[in-house]
Amino acid sequence: MIKLYDFDLSGNCYKVRLLLGILGLEFERKNVDFFPGFKHRAAEFLAVNPLGQLPVLEDGDLSLRDSHAILVYLASKYDGSGRWYPTGDAALLGEIQQWLSLAEGLTATASAARLAEGMDFDFDAEAARKGAYRLFDVLDEHLWFREREGSDWICAPAHPTIADLACFPYVMLSEEGGVSREDYPAIRRWTDRVKRIPGFSVMPGIFPAQLGS
Amino acid sequence: MHDKTWVPVANSTDLAPHHVFQGRLMGQELAIWRADDGHVNVWENRCLHRGVRLSIGINTGSELVCQYHGWRYANRNAGCTYIPAHPADAPARTICSKTWPVIETGGLIWTHFEDRDPPLPELPEGGAALRPLPLAAAPEMVRESLAGLAPEGFGPLDETLQARGPAGSLHLMVQPADAGRAVIRGIVQSDEPELALLRRLNLFLRSARDQILAQAALTPAPEPIPHRPERVSEELAEMPEMVSGPARLRVQVAKKELVAKDIVALELEPLRGALPASQPGAHIDVALPNGLLRQYSLVNAPGETGRYVIGVKREPESTGGSAAIHDSLAEGDLLAISEPRNNFTLRRDVEETILVAGGIGVTPLLSMAAALKDDGLPFRLHYFAGSEEQIAFGERLAALGDRLVNYIGLDPEKTALALKGILKSPAPHAQVYVCGPAPMLDVTRATAAEAGWPDAAVHFEYFANTREIDTSSSFRIELARSAVTLEVPAGRSILSVLQEAGVAPPSSCCQGACGTCMARVIEGEPDHQDVYLSEAEKAAGDKILTCVSRAKSDRLILDL
Repeated sequence: MIKLYDFDLSGNCYKVRLLLGILGLEFERKNVDFFPGFKHRAAEFLAVNPLGQLPVLEDGDLSLRDSHAILVYLASKYDGSGRWYPTGDAALLGEIQQWLSLAEGLTATASAARLAEGMDFDFDAEAARKGAYRLFDVLDEHLWFREREGSDWICAPAHPTIADLACFPYVMLSEEGGVSREDYPAIRRWTDRVKRIPGFSVMPGIFPAQLGS
Repeated sequence: MHDKTWVPVANSTDLAPHHVFQGRLMGQELAIWRADDGHVNVWENRCLHRGVRLSIGINTGSELVCQYHGWRYANRNAGCTYIPAHPADAPARTICSKTWPVIETGGLIWTHFEDRDPPLPELPEGGAALRPLPLAAAPEMVRESLAGLAPEGFGPLDETLQARGPAGSLHLMVQPADAGRAVIRGIVQSDEPELALLRRLNLFLRSARDQILAQAALTPAPEPIPHRPERVSEELAEMPEMVSGPARLRVQVAKKELVAKDIVALELEPLRGALPASQPGAHIDVALPNGLLRQYSLVNAPGETGRYVIGVKREPESTGGSAAIHDSLAEGDLLAISEPRNNFTLRRDVEETILVAGGIGVTPLLSMAAALKDDGLPFRLHYFAGSEEQIAFGERLAALGDRLVNYIGLDPEKTALALKGILKSPAPHAQVYVCGPAPMLDVTRATAAEAGWPDAAVHFEYFANTREIDTSSSFRIELARSAVTLEVPAGRSILSVLQEAGVAPPSSCCQGACGTCMARVIEGEPDHQDVYLSEAEKAAGDKILTCVSRAKSDRLILDL
């Protein structure tokens, strides 16, 4: 059985839980008390990931750190539709990687602001917010014109990819770090669409977009 | 900050299906959403309950549901239709989200905060709306900075931010979001391919924005305009609706249609403005041309807020109400009606709902069924009709699919048997709603009690009280609040004595069926003759319907 080293309030762990849920995969959760326990820095977890970062996924003999690496692996191995990470489409793979890198930037900015405001991490919240707004601006413009071209998603024309899942959590949690989405209407519409993907699940701070879900 | 004009606050494309757009105008946060009927709502972005942003709520297509405690507000009139924490009470009609006027033209959504509508914006026909560009700078300064800039192919923007050139014409607007925040919006008309042009103008606006922001950085940012939230007091929020007497609303009969044998449907439209919100189970009083006041349940589904729909059956023993509607009322006629009242509130916190309709009693249950279906809650509607041709509102019934069960032409004995089947096993989290003729309701009441349903789980709506009222007693009433003592002689009702003394509660049906004239009993034993209170309520003895019920004791002390 797949095993996930997980923390409820982590957006990067949530990305992985999202894809696991959408693909309908069973998995075992191993909770690592990131806050306030700081157990990701304890020797026991450093033996699993020397970088001391969540999440980590174990599947058989494979142990993977880095949420985006895990998304790539899960989609390539378990997604029968071949849509979440279309390995045969070079251009699309390039685009997906480009947005996974932007998602990495969101972790360094929007997520950092959230850790500084909500969990007392010693980051420069103001600088983090400024960085987040720059990325939001790029994402909003991209999505606005994607809509004009008739596409609802960041990369592929007709369906979401792991790029959407990678960008979603720290966009959606941004207000906890004082980053407002008021000025980014195209982003807000896209987050509604992500929430309506079949198999979508929530985490603390992220509400469903429809009743009864 | 701006002259009296309509101001654009969103692009039409911002209002995606079932999305709630977060906007801002002069420091006021807005929740803007489009309902499934196409209507665009511009509301204050605060739930009246705890002030949570409605823009994080859920647009069901007909209602906006607050994410926090689930308060629901109706399309158009913004009236609160349901409070989950008080599932058995109808929300007070005064709980209504703040709304502003709206027009949609040129691919933009416009509103204003003036007392009366300013003239409509003069816009050329057609064109495409630009990608809006928000920026943290004073709106006035943004306007001044944009004037004179010359986007390629359009020539310089004049003082009204319009430009015309070989590429076409361009019209920019500056939405004053706050003292130090603005959104640049615009409409372009051109023969150039649209997407490439929108991209080009987006680049132009982005570089204009960067220039303006650099300039704005040199002056201190203005203080935001203070926000003035409107809230409803806890007290009001938790109090069931106060009833009001007279038929104060004026409506026009927009449509009169025979929907079954001897049943007409009336669609009533407001003469101006929006109709007050209604909830499933609500009814209105209709003042008829012949002077009678009659109650009719609303058939309206959630979000059906543009008109009230009622069904009226011609009663052979009619005292003139149904005959007046069938024979003398025509499309285009004006009617006086009351605001909707709800004595038949639908709970939406239960696991199963059983709806039982007899004949024209289907009307409030149709409204309930549509609401339950919308919410995805399990229910079944059992509809007893005399014959196929007496089945009314076929289209609405058809929409219920297999959740509708018809019983056609059953005699009283078979009806009783069918009811026994429907109510055979009381479930702990189920509720039953019954509306129909009095004999059927009496049988249902007895059957439910026999099967072990608790009183509180079975709800009745009588059309009329067909029991004979015994008015032979005489007694004294003391009004605790008014400090008045009155004698009620044989042959007169408590209500008429109260009316004479000028201290009467509102009243409506005057036959013990609608519950409007209810008063609280502080002391004394009521002699209940109504069909409105449940057996448990009657036994508790702390409420009385003053129009028909009397006293068994020598005196009653009422909380009036």
